[in-house]
Formats: sequence, C-alpha cells, structure tokens
Amino acid sequence: MNGTLRSRLVRVLLSGASVALAIGLPVHVGAQEGAQPQPSYQNMTPEQRAAATRAFLGLGPEPDKAAAARGAPMYRQSCAFCHGPQARGATGSSLITSDVVLGDDRGEHLVAFLKKGRPERGMPAFANMTDGQLADIAEFIHLQVEEVANRGAYHVLNILIGNAASGQAYVAAHCRSCHTAETFAHIGSKYRSPDQLQRSWIWPPRPADNSLAVTATVKTPDGASISGRVTQLSDFRISLVDSAGITHTIDREPRVLVEMNDPLAPHQQMIQALTNDDMHNITAYLDSLK
Amino acid sequence: MRLTSGIIAALAAALHTGSVLLAAQAAPHVSLNPAEIGKPPVTSWPTFNGDYTAQRYSTLTQIKPSNLNRLAQRWVYKITDVGAQRGAPVPIVKCTPLLVDGVLYITIPDHVWAIDARTGKPLWHYDWVDRGGHLIGQRGVGIWNTTVFFLTPDNWLIALDANTGRELWRKNYADARKQYFSTSAPLIVKDHVIVGVGGDAMDMPGFLDSFDPVTGDLQWTWWSTPRKGDAALATWPNEAASDHGGGMTWMPGTYDADLNLLYWPTGNTNPVFAGQGRPGANLWTESIVALDPDTGKLKWYFQVSPHDTHDFDNTTAPIFFDRVVGGKRRKLLAQAARNGYFVTLDRETGKYLVAKPYVPLDWSAGLSPQGEPIPIPDKDPTVGGSINIVNASNWEAPAYNPKTGLFYVNSVEGNAIYYLTDNSAQPSGYGGTGAGIGHATRVLKAIDPLTGSAVWQHAYPNLNNAPSTLGPSILTTASNLLITGDDQKSAIIFSADKGQVLWHSELSASESSGVITYMLDGKQYIVSAAGDTLYAWSLPK
Repeated sequence: MNGTLRSRLVRVLLSGASVALAIGLPVHVGAQEGAQPQPSYQNMTPEQRAAATRAFLGLGPEPDKAAAARGAPMYRQSCAFCHGPQARGATGSSLITSDVVLGDDRGEHLVAFLKKGRPERGMPAFANMTDGQLADIAEFIHLQVEEVANRGAYHVLNILIGNAASGQAYVAAHCRSCHTAETFAHIGSKYRSPDQLQRSWIWPPRPADNSLAVTATVKTPDGASISGRVTQLSDFRISLVDSAGITHTIDREPRVLVEMNDPLAPHQQMIQALTNDDMHNITAYLDSLK
Repeated sequence: MRLTSGIIAALAAALHTGSVLLAAQAAPHVSLNPAEIGKPPVTSWPTFNGDYTAQRYSTLTQIKPSNLNRLAQRWVYKITDVGAQRGAPVPIVKCTPLLVDGVLYITIPDHVWAIDARTGKPLWHYDWVDRGGHLIGQRGVGIWNTTVFFLTPDNWLIALDANTGRELWRKNYADARKQYFSTSAPLIVKDHVIVGVGGDAMDMPGFLDSFDPVTGDLQWTWWSTPRKGDAALATWPNEAASDHGGGMTWMPGTYDADLNLLYWPTGNTNPVFAGQGRPGANLWTESIVALDPDTGKLKWYFQVSPHDTHDFDNTTAPIFFDRVVGGKRRKLLAQAARNGYFVTLDRETGKYLVAKPYVPLDWSAGLSPQGEPIPIPDKDPTVGGSINIVNASNWEAPAYNPKTGLFYVNSVEGNAIYYLTDNSAQPSGYGGTGAGIGHATRVLKAIDPLTGSAVWQHAYPNLNNAPSTLGPSILTTASNLLITGDDQKSAIIFSADKGQVLWHSELSASESSGVITYMLDGKQYIVSAAGDTLYAWSLPK
C-alpha cells in the first residue's frame, strides 16, 4: 500500500517538519490529545495556523487558491451534479478520501485521469478540456479536501446571533456589582473578531501590568506573613513576588498557611452558570459598544 | 519542482525502512509465554496494563508507606539520540514500559528501545522512518514469546526479535493519506495480535484488526460502525454516514479469559463537532464493546456518549473488578469516561449498574433505560458558541485497588466554548472547534465504583490550566500506595485509602508515561518516564 504513496504527501512531510519547528508547535492536535489548542496556537495568524496544522497532519501542499477559483465554475458545471458542490458526494462518491485525489500533487495524475474518466463506472471522459482547465479542477478538489481535513484553516462563522437588548439587561443586573460603565466603553472595537470579544469578556486575559494577577498571603510557622503576586503554586511550593519586587519561594510544610485571592474568581463562577443564550446576548450587546 | 519532488520521493522510498542499533553486549534471553500475560504482574510487566484487568494494581509490598523516606533513584535513561520530530519539538515518552526477563521496552513514535532493567543501559534501538501519520504519541509494545510488536505512525505492524531488535516482518493495515495513524500498543491475546487505529480528520471508520503473531496474516477485522445489513445502521441516517462515522480504537483494550471476551473502548464520532448530518445514536462509536477475540464478532455494547458532538472520544481504559452486589458475585467493569460520566457495567451482559457524573457537568438530560446519558441538544456546538466541559479524562491510565475497592482517576474539571464552523447539511471533518475557557483543574478522584461517588479527592494546586493532552497515569499497590504525579514535574505517592501525600520528588518534566512496578533480583522497582527520561526507583540495599 505504501509503495503507491505519491510525492504529494512525502514532499510535504519533509518540508513540513521545518515549518512546524519554525513556528513552535504543538498545534491543535485533535481527538487523541483533547480539543483545546495551545496558547501559542491561539496567537498564530490564520495562515500560520493553517500551515502548522497542514504540516502536522501531513496533508500535502497548500492548495493554489487562484487555480481553485478558476476551477470552481468548471467543477460546478461538470462534476458537482454527481460529486456534490463541495466534493463530499451526491449520487457519486465523495472525493475527499478518494485514492486518486489523495495520490495527486498538482494535477500530475488527476489531469490524465479526468481526460479518460471511468466510463465503466459511469464517469464521463473530459477529453475536450485543456490540461490547464483540468489542473484547475484538480486544484479546486484539493481545496475541498483542505477545507475538510485542515482544521487549522477553519473559521468561526458570524457568532453575533444574540439579542443586544437582552444582553444589556443581563449586564445591568449581573455585572454592575464589580464593573462600571467605563469597563464596557468601546469594548466592541477592542478585539479583532467577535469570538475574541466573547472569549475575552468571559475570561479576560491577565494583563502584563498584573492588575488581574492571582495574589496570596502566606503565613509561616515562625509567625511571618508574606503577601504578593503568585508566580507558581503546587502542592509542595508557592512562589510569590512582594510589593518590593522580591521573589519568595516557600515550601508548603504542614503548618504553612496559604490564602489565595483570584480577581477572576467571580468569572470562573459565572462560567459554571452562564447559559448559551445569555452568552450570545451579552456578546451582541458588547459588540454594539464601538 | 517535479524533479525535486521525484528525487525526494525516491529518497524517502529508499529510507522507508527500519534500522536497528545494537549495543556491544550479549543479547538477553527474553521470552514470554502468552498464557502468562493475564496473571497478576510480579516479576514482569508483560502487557500495556500489566495484566488484562487493567487495574494497574501490584501485589508487591516491599515499598510501603513506612520506608518511602528511603526510596531513591537507581538509574535514569534519557533519550539523547532522537531530535525534534514532526510536530513534537522534544521526545516525550507516553508509553507504558513493558518488563520481561530483565529487559524494559519503551517507545516514542518511530522508535523502540530495549533497556537493561538492572543498569538502565540500552540493549538495542529500533528506528523507523515513517511516511506519514501523526507523531502525537506511542503507547508501547506487545510481546508474544520472543517477538515484540510495534505500531508506527503510518500504520505498519512491525514484528521485531525481542532480543536483538531485528525486524522479522511488517504489515501495513491502514492508509495514512486518509488520516489514519497509529499510536497504540498491540494487545496480545492467545495467538492474536490485536491492533487499533486512530485518525479523525477525514471521516473514516474505526476498526480493529487481529493478526497472526507468526505470519502476520490478518485473522479478522471488526468495524466500529455497522455495514450493510446490520440492524445498528438504524442509528445512522444512511450507509454512507456510517461508512464515514469514525469510532477510532487508538487505546489498547482488555480481555476476560473466563468469558473469552475482548473489551474495547471506541473513540469519537465523525464528523467530530458537526452532528447535524448524522442524526441518531451513531453506534458503535463512543462505546465500550465486547467482542469474541477469535472471530471479532460483537457480543454486546454500551454506548457511553450517544450522538457525540464534543470529541468525547471514549478511549479511557475500562477496568475489570469482581464484587458482591446484592448477595451475588458479579464480574464488572468500570470506566471514568471522557464525557464526565463514571459507568459500571456487568462484563457478561453489558448491563449497567452505575452511570453518574464524576465532574460537574450539565450536558445531559438524564439516562436512557439502558443507562446511557441523553445529551441536551442546546449543549451541542453552535455557530454562536456553546459552553460545555473539557474532556474529563484522557488516555492517561486510571487504576483500581482491590484492597480499598476504589477506582482512581486523574480527572480534569474545566470548560470550553464549542463553535460550529460548518453549519451545512453535509458537514465533513471536524466541522467545528473548541477552546478552553476559565480555569481547568486537575483533580485526583477515588471513586466507589458501586455508587459512582468520590470517597476522597485531591485537587492539584496550579496557576496554569491542567493540560488536556498529557497527564499523570496511576498505579496502586497492596501496600496502600497510589503512585502518580502532578502537572508541575512532581512524582507523588498518595495513600490509596485516604489520599494523603506520603512522598514526592521533583523530576526533569511532568510524568508522561504509565507507571509500572516489578520485582527484579529480590528488589521492587517503580519505573516511569517524565518527558524524555525514564526513571527507576527502589529502596537501598
């Protein structure tokens, strides 16, 4: 089986290794390893994310989008009736996992295949099309594979589906015990996308000025009390930086008392109780505060 | 361009082989009668879970609470001859080591090492050059007599001489171009080498293959989703959806010799997050299935996550135990599922005794008459986002201790927002995405498997989120030890009955492998890996 493996896969696996390293994987790795992308992955541009995932998955070279766009109308006219508008199958088979498609790189096999067709299975020959046209159709099909298999290239759709007035009412009822109107002023223009806004109002990133840092007070058996920003916490150790900037690392012996304070604790509680409708409504409201 | 790729293809074809590096010392004499595999492990650790119960329980008591203050590292073995792999900047040992006749076998993707358990020195190293597949992890080898079986990322079953590492034969069983990849440890049952597979990027069906250990001939295949003529097709909208329905088998199963039944957990349904194209329960994905190991025929199933839309990939190990329930001795199995439910089933019939959340969750509207959680449609991924739990467990091994009667799992309590990115009528692939929101905490739980309630639990303090993909496995012993670790480089021993911290030691990385123990030359060893380093502990002379 592997003897028939084509260059599409191999070439990209070899080049993919360097791509992956250059941008610092790990990436979103899927079912075996949970569904949550790593923070570094979140910070990538969409193009980096797609490239990293493509390399990790061994998906082949990046489809040529211009060629695929040229191929799209020809695909719609000649192929979509049987294979579906996105090549996911209709009366004919899905092309997403087709051996012929996956074994092809840039049309070097598909062009000849399409010229001949598979008359014995009811697939016509496309002998009247030029090699260039058939290569563009091949590229369109490769793009359909990419859009299914490369989850790093997925895009969140328009998430603004809530009711802004209901969201405003929720904010007035639930958020004003800690926040003033100033917190929300222009919040709708601070993020590059509504899903970033949604994510950030639910669980704000802790800013570099440490204004949302976790703090603690540690009381040691000799009566000393140290307070500061926590930089590490385990069963066995706590490290904190005090107001003078001095780092203290204390072993958590049995008589060492630790009192933690997380300014985001109310948000952690909110996440446990937040309904999807409330989330959508609040996001719609906040997005309107440009 | 074409010329270049042609040359590289030819080069890769030439490289597509394994090679073995032998240390300059006498070959060992490893041989494992497959009839020994099911016995409680004492002087060996001959299969992924130690024995077929998957309890990861040792009867050894030389290392005990009163002498833990003298427990010390005997040797370490650090992988230094493998650099960055595709998608993996540094090697991380995610296998459970096997120990047979004084030789340890460890793996990472594409690599197997045989290590002298007395010295920590390598005896041989087998190096495979893959042509595709994901290098996420490798769970270890299987051993049958003098043959070691190893699975590669690009889905080759490789038979190696256990004593020299020499390749005996290889067999390809799945196509990496279709995003099938292999990470599992083959399960040896009698004269069967049973192999599962992973890969959910392209809507392929999961399966199990059984191979002849001598010839590599295929004995049977079981598909995770039903084929034409099967009544279970009623749980799919059509045959094509079932044919592309997922249900990967990427963690090793278990076996009951008395019942002659093989038990396997099956992974998530495809398309992964977009369920609108596959209304129905989608059997036998997200299930525990009982199969005849000689034929691959299904005896019963229990579907832990009907119609999954959250990648609740049901591959966490089910564990066997026998208990008296209502005056009758029952053969049971329990699983701390990734969907947050703890289930206890009858091993003979698959009927449930317990199905209860073991982490806070709100995605279920209760249980079906069969005990299967009923999902709430509003909690499915949506275009606007839907809050649900993160996976409550993963591949890291849970354990059961017959002395305490408790089931142990390092769970994760946390949430994520799940988005539908493909709202078409015919989604494909993942069709959605999930991202953690809020703080995710690792919590060690000791669960009474007859009630599903935690008797004690320990939340590991951590400023960072518990990693969803890597975490500590568990081993318990007859001397009341629970051996595990945290996500901050500490190996930790708790008391199994109460959950008190008895011992801890800082490692070079967080524990990443299965933990094993065995007796060698009259001394009890504990062995586990953290990152690229394998550690062996014992008491001094």
